[in-house]
Amino acid sequence: MKNYLKLLNFEVNRFFKLYLTLIGLIIVSQFIGAIVVSKGYMNVTDQVINKNQLSVSQYIKEYGLFSFEQFVGSEWFVLPILFSIAMLMIYVFFIWYRDWFGKNTFIYRLLMLPTERITIYFAKLTTIMLLVLGLVTLQILLIPIEIKIVTSIIPTDFRSDFSSSHFDSLEMLVWLYPNAFIEFILIYGVGLILVAVLFTAILIERSYGLKGIFFAIVYGMLSFGVFIAPILLNVFSNDYFYALEIFLMLLVMSIIVLGSAIWIANHLLKYKIRV
Amino acid sequence: MIEVKNVEKKYGRKRVLKGLSFTAEKGEITCLIGINGVGKTTIMKAIMALTPINSGEILIDGKKIRKESFEKVTFIPDTITMLPQMKICDAFSFMADFYKNWDPQRAEELLQFFKLDPTERIANLSKGNMAKVNMILGLALNVDYLLMDEPFSGIDIFSREQIAEVFTSHLIEDRGVIITTHEISDIEHLIDRAVLIDNGEVLKEFSVEEVREKEGKSVVDVMREVYRG
Amino acid sequence: MTVKFNNRDPVYVQVIRHFKEQIAKGYFEPGQEIPSRRELANQLKINPNTAQRAYKEMEEQGLIFTEGNMPSCITKDEAVLKSVREELIIEAVDLFLGSIKSIDVPLSEVLELVKKKHDAESGEAEESK
Repeated sequence: MKNYLKLLNFEVNRFFKLYLTLIGLIIVSQFIGAIVVSKGYMNVTDQVINKNQLSVSQYIKEYGLFSFEQFVGSEWFVLPILFSIAMLMIYVFFIWYRDWFGKNTFIYRLLMLPTERITIYFAKLTTIMLLVLGLVTLQILLIPIEIKIVTSIIPTDFRSDFSSSHFDSLEMLVWLYPNAFIEFILIYGVGLILVAVLFTAILIERSYGLKGIFFAIVYGMLSFGVFIAPILLNVFSNDYFYALEIFLMLLVMSIIVLGSAIWIANHLLKYKIRV
Repeated sequence: MIEVKNVEKKYGRKRVLKGLSFTAEKGEITCLIGINGVGKTTIMKAIMALTPINSGEILIDGKKIRKESFEKVTFIPDTITMLPQMKICDAFSFMADFYKNWDPQRAEELLQFFKLDPTERIANLSKGNMAKVNMILGLALNVDYLLMDEPFSGIDIFSREQIAEVFTSHLIEDRGVIITTHEISDIEHLIDRAVLIDNGEVLKEFSVEEVREKEGKSVVDVMREVYRG
Repeated sequence: MTVKFNNRDPVYVQVIRHFKEQIAKGYFEPGQEIPSRRELANQLKINPNTAQRAYKEMEEQGLIFTEGNMPSCITKDEAVLKSVREELIIEAVDLFLGSIKSIDVPLSEVLELVKKKHDAESGEAEESK
């Protein structure tokens, strides 16, 4: 357990500089975006009102209120998120391959540590999950601040209601931070299983070389197939099952897929891995 | 003692190790000798479970390798086993963190003996200095067995002399050491046993002093006989 | 102490020989303390096991002795020391005889040459003092 925490600490630290850069990027881009989009709206609004000599209510009737979605849908908001997602997805692979390549043969040291080798796997897995969680938390914390920024620029008359509960319906964000705890578990659970399967696929490649890539892909597809089997079963049996039953079957399949990912990874790390 | 028993290994179709067997005792320096590519490094990696074997057995003090074994055996490969951006002192902290058997004082001693600066980053070290740091990572561990892969290759003669000095010191005494080399003549007088390997097999395994005494031959002489015959 | 080792004779035998030479030449005094096994290994750049073996042999041959936990010392036994000197001299003589055997020269002439050379060199040594 101690070694797991030490390795986890180590892995998180390795990515930390890049992580801070991502955080910085998100904050800067979104804050600037909040200002730019709001000011932009006000400028346009002022222009139109002056040009056409409209009153406020006339303008609003014609052009509608400013909704927070206008900011949330802008590149300022979205691009840093997409960029971070891309970075993290790359890191899912890089977190392993970085220890093999370049002037780096750190994998020797990792595999020679006096600890069960699966600990390395768990540490890297947890790292990814923490990094994702961290960014999501960051976003949740940023939203109220961004609301403040927007509301300080756009007067009340021009905006629609910005209360927090409003965001539940925002399509953009609902899959990022679901409001129900169960939804949270589900989505991150699926994410966890996905990363676990990817990790095991990477280890398959590292153990078997070129033909390993083939096996890895087959393994990935098999895992996916097993996972969605309940859904397929339901479709082919013409909706025979209740939602709860499908859910329970999916849960069982998830456990099977996750369990086998870990079991295979453990076996590979102990007996098949090559440096 | 480390026992390698009938180890078979294939890379694809090619049989790299063909029923290879030898033993290395604690308190002795055993040298695996053979041309480049014959499989010496592979054997070492196999002992450390860093590469799989197809069949055969490798036992360390009678047991198969487990996680505890890594406090008993360590491997010094010809590449650095730390992150290049780490400073030497960071590398030492890492070792202290994970290994109970890490001896920080000995690491410090060796650092001074090799005249290295602990604040230097590993990526900025010369090849010779990197090899020395790698050595320290192995020698400062209170392990019973040390595996060193080509400790003398590719480094300048002064670094080599320094490293050779380590072999004659208390740092090696009482430990079991397996080294590989393809340049045996430099270190003939340092080793206890020689294992001649060719074509994935052990051709001859012998005590160096015994052969000198009984047959008046040096290791190089034996090599000539064995590899030609 | 630097000794050049050849790779064909057992190293421990060469170490013992080196000690005998040092004794015969008077560099090692009777009763003089000698380095520990480890120190010797380090000084001569040899395997500590070899140093160990050499010491063991020398103990058995009576060349050195160890009292309890004290460092080992050269023997004070005159008989042993004498035989060591003799051994080396006889070796040199054997070597010498072997070299000149093939040259067809009467022994008296050879001994004349030896004496002449010896005197000349000790003469030089005297002058340079």
